[in-house]
Amino acid sequence: MSDPGRPIAEEELHAFVDDQLAPDRHPAVLRYLQEHPDMAREVAAWRAQREALRAAFAPVADEPIPPRLGLERLIQDRLGRRGVAWRIAASIALAFTLGGAGGWFLHGGLHPASAVLTLMAQQAIANHVVYTADRRRPTELGAQQRDDLARWVSNRLNHKVAPPDLSADGYAYIGGRLAATPDGPAGLFMYDGPDGVRLTVFVLPLHMDETLPLQQVDVAKVNGWAWIDKGIGYTVVGRLPTPELRRVADLVRRQYGGAT
Amino acid sequence: MTVSGVLTRIEACIPALRRYAAALLRNREDADDLVHDCLVRALDKLHTRRDEADVRAWLFAIMHNLFISQLRRARVRPAGEPLDESHDAAASLRPDQESHLQWRDLVRALNQLPVEQRTVILLVSVEDLSYAEAANVLGIPIGTVMSRLARGRERLRRLTEEGEVRPALRRVK
Repeated sequence: MSDPGRPIAEEELHAFVDDQLAPDRHPAVLRYLQEHPDMAREVAAWRAQREALRAAFAPVADEPIPPRLGLERLIQDRLGRRGVAWRIAASIALAFTLGGAGGWFLHGGLHPASAVLTLMAQQAIANHVVYTADRRRPTELGAQQRDDLARWVSNRLNHKVAPPDLSADGYAYIGGRLAATPDGPAGLFMYDGPDGVRLTVFVLPLHMDETLPLQQVDVAKVNGWAWIDKGIGYTVVGRLPTPELRRVADLVRRQYGGAT
Repeated sequence: MTVSGVLTRIEACIPALRRYAAALLRNREDADDLVHDCLVRALDKLHTRRDEADVRAWLFAIMHNLFISQLRRARVRPAGEPLDESHDAAASLRPDQESHLQWRDLVRALNQLPVEQRTVILLVSVEDLSYAEAANVLGIPIGTVMSRLARGRERLRRLTEEGEVRPALRRVK
């Protein structure tokens, strides 16, 4: 493509030094350097300079990466910070669908649990905040249509699931709905507790096989407990004291057959 | 795109980002602060990545922009200013090597170059970016990359050859 007979430009001498010269120009450059010893010395000096700079700065890249620059930690810092702006949370959640980022955490040999659970809990908490605030129609199907809802959600999730029964513990089931997440449909079940506190149970199949133990998750000052059992993610969310919310999460987990 | 793939590539670039930042800034803490800000910015902009290609050049571009805006706000001192021995970028280099002194002189000479020439030399010579990638990272035409590279190399050669201790410029393959 280039004319092998054309004169050598200084740019080509630099490209030669940087191994960026088009292969068909190599013979011409080599010939030129043989015929011009001054330029050959110059080029040798550039190349030696390049090698010396690489050697001088190489040790920095061989150092262990300081903990504060660890990628997983940075992600967790961004996600886990209390009161994190919803805009930031949403932007990260958009990019980090669990199928993608979750896989990175789980297979990258890194400590995965908190980040994956936080990512999932963001979806749960977003749906909790939006739907529990709706006084007129918080649910799509009410308590009387419990079986219909279970069938509908199970079909869409391709996973058999029904609202857990928490009535013995003072939480009355008031209905549920299908929720949307970047990872696909989720089931959202809603409960009324003492003092009008609303609680939601969020179920999301994650297209992975892992099991992760129960962990507390906070997003934007809303508390939750989340876990993953054989690839199905669960989050229990509500503005309740942490120990009480933990107790409810354990109840839900037992009903879904997870180990406590 | 897969987010997994992009994250894996970002992670693989962290050592190179630290190396570049350490070469740009006079103290290592400032350098790692710059890398930190760069990674945070990259994570915020992750949803704008459509593919895994060019993640490295993308990260260097983010870092370059942060570096330039820091310089404008004079928040950090670039490596070119009068050196404090203990925080000198050269001081962090391999001390047990025979050529340590030569490298130190070379790094000091490098620090005397204008920032525009130094960034081009580092991106091309040390970080192995192609001329086109370097042009992209720095937001300048490729012809400008070439002229800065040529001027920078020439000046660096004069500085080291006229210095009191000659650097190791004889190790030619």
